Amino acid sequence: MKRVSEQFPGVEWVEGAGEFIQIDADKCNACANCVKVCLAGCYEISKKKARIKSLDECMECAACWYACTEGAIGFSWPPGGTGYRSDWG
Amino acid sequence: MDVKGEQDEYDVVVVGAGFGGPVAARKCAEAGLKTLMLERGEKAGEKVISGLTIPFYGFLFGPQFIRDGNPPVERPVDGIINYIIRDIETGDIDIDDSLKIPKPLSPVLAFGYNAYCQPFCEWEADKAVESGAEFRTSTAVTGVIKENGRVKGVVTDGSERIGSKIVIDAEGSQGLLAISAGVREKYTPDVISLADVYDYEMKKEDVDRIFGHSIRFCWGWDEQGLAPPLGYGNGLMVWPYRGSIHWIQDECVRISDGQTPNLVKDFEGYHRNITSQLPWWREEVAPRVSLRAHIFDTFEIYVGLDERLRNMPNHADGMILIGDAAGLESTALCDGVPAAWFSADIAADVAMEAVKAGDTSASFLKRYDDRIKAHPIIQWSITSRERYDLRRAQASHDERELKRCVHNGWGLGGFNHMSTPLVRIILDSIAEDPSIIASWVLMYCRYYYNWAHERFDGRGGRAEGSPAAQTAGQRAFRKTYEITDRVLERLDAPIKRLASLLAHLSPAANPMMKTLLPLIEPVYCFLIRFLEPLTDPLSRKLVEFVENADPAIFNVAKRK
Ligand SMILES: Cc1cc2nc3c(=O)[nH]c(=O)nc-3n(C[C@H](O)[C@H](O)[C@H](O)COP(=O)(O)OP(=O)(O)OC[C@H]3O[C@@H](n4cnc5c(N)ncnc54)[C@H](O)[C@@H]3O)c2cc1C
Repeated sequence: MKRVSEQFPGVEWVEGAGEFIQIDADKCNACANCVKVCLAGCYEISKKKARIKSLDECMECAACWYACTEGAIGFSWPPGGTGYRSDWG
Repeated sequence: MDVKGEQDEYDVVVVGAGFGGPVAARKCAEAGLKTLMLERGEKAGEKVISGLTIPFYGFLFGPQFIRDGNPPVERPVDGIINYIIRDIETGDIDIDDSLKIPKPLSPVLAFGYNAYCQPFCEWEADKAVESGAEFRTSTAVTGVIKENGRVKGVVTDGSERIGSKIVIDAEGSQGLLAISAGVREKYTPDVISLADVYDYEMKKEDVDRIFGHSIRFCWGWDEQGLAPPLGYGNGLMVWPYRGSIHWIQDECVRISDGQTPNLVKDFEGYHRNITSQLPWWREEVAPRVSLRAHIFDTFEIYVGLDERLRNMPNHADGMILIGDAAGLESTALCDGVPAAWFSADIAADVAMEAVKAGDTSASFLKRYDDRIKAHPIIQWSITSRERYDLRRAQASHDERELKRCVHNGWGLGGFNHMSTPLVRIILDSIAEDPSIIASWVLMYCRYYYNWAHERFDGRGGRAEGSPAAQTAGQRAFRKTYEITDRVLERLDAPIKRLASLLAHLSPAANPMMKTLLPLIEPVYCFLIRFLEPLTDPLSRKLVEFVENADPAIFNVAKRK
């Protein structure tokens, strides 16, 4: 099954990606760097911690993982054959 | 899932089928090594995002099967038009369009080729498979198998353990595998840039008329809010494709004083400001385009400028990193494909030598890093400072400095720093095989023909090799090629000697250009404009000849 999004035309997401990004709440200092660099709007700050709202429009760029100075973001790839894809890259 | 035994099932496992992986896989398989390539996407290249202009040096000096083949390209490009925006409201814009292949050579002789990643990478992967490499898609590698500190294979997301004498890591810039294997560290956010990319459909006639074969770059002062801060990414870059254009801006994930910029807000603002204010976009382009895709990705634009990151090893016991995984993205032109191809070629050579010698230890594989460090184009492209130095232009708000950086980075001034590596690699290539000169000419003609007819490896265009279709002119072309090729073969030894000798003089090329360019450039630019009435029709004649030829005349003959 493939999903599309209005905000990002030309992109498909293959279901089954799961939770391939995790936040270590103990390390997070709520600096919001992840919110600022995620063009897909995957993150929000709630109760003084970063939280993943949804990975539905994630394009697996890892900007959040680079920007997190506390090393609180655990980044891995979604399982093979799932997640983001595009013919127009 | 069953866990298989992993006793060296493969000689080589290549991780990733982007631009670099398939090149390594093909070369290893061709040499008879048992090779497996793994890709996490459902198809090769569908997770790769790029510009994308692949500069000429990738094609000329890179893998032979690409140079002599028919890869799917979107448009040959013949140069860059730089807009230096002083005041967008009054339309006060300077233009530096000095980097341009002159007519009549252009557009057949190209500065590079624009392409979409997915079809190009898939074409490469097909070539690897044709050579005997196994290729598995929808398979993410999650780690390496290590025994006594040595990499002995990979583990997939299906918990399968695949044994291999050598792992060639072509996973791209994030380097998750390389980091987990302990080969290199994670890159820091100040060397990483996030690119915001839009793809617009546009009628081919409109692209031809408005863009022709030129890429357009825009540079402006930070306070205009049109583009990322100078030196912390790229201003607007627009790439013309066949019937579409690509629109890119990128900004570093960390900017001055350790700040993380609000990229969500920034990109939204840049895109809005530039599309609503830039005169040629608003008036010429906007009415003729429709948005097809909006995508984004990070890339490693300044790894090469950080000495510590640059000098991290790209090999370990049983493992070699290539392309973006090895931090080889260019720091000036932001091209990474040529370096991915060069490093893949070198990695395959080293893998073959290691397997033959039965030694895949780090001390043996070190020769890979040595060769990367000795590669003239790679080293030049990962240490060029023009884009980075734009920061200084902004700090001093010195317009002359801004223009100088743009001219040296994306104008004719580039020859101040790229002449030495270019002369070196041209002569090195000739010293290795003089017949490459004839292959270069054929490549340009074949690529132009293929582009014009949308004929990529037999798909589309005209049937190959119908001799009846060949005119006298075409037969003369082919004859000239055959004679040239024979002469080059006859004179093989003296040409090789001469090229090796001259290669030693290449360090003089940069200083010579620095001295001569200020004198030559005004004359050169004047001549180009002055001669246009003459060169224009000649260029059209050349295009006509190539377009109407029997494509068989552009194939590289296989020597006995
Ligand atoms: C916006 C942008 C613009 C660019 N513009 C240009 C340009 O104009 N010219 C130019 O030459 N270069 C350009 N580049 C750079 C160029 O795209 C890269 O340098 C090039 O793609 C590097 O090739 P690679 O093979 O090293 O990695 P990639 O092409 O990134 O390929 C990596 C592959 O590995 C796969 N993979 C990753 N991890 C795993 C895993 N664990 N298991 C299985 N598969 C995995 C990925 O899915 C991908 O297919 C640009 C890059 C960006 C982001």
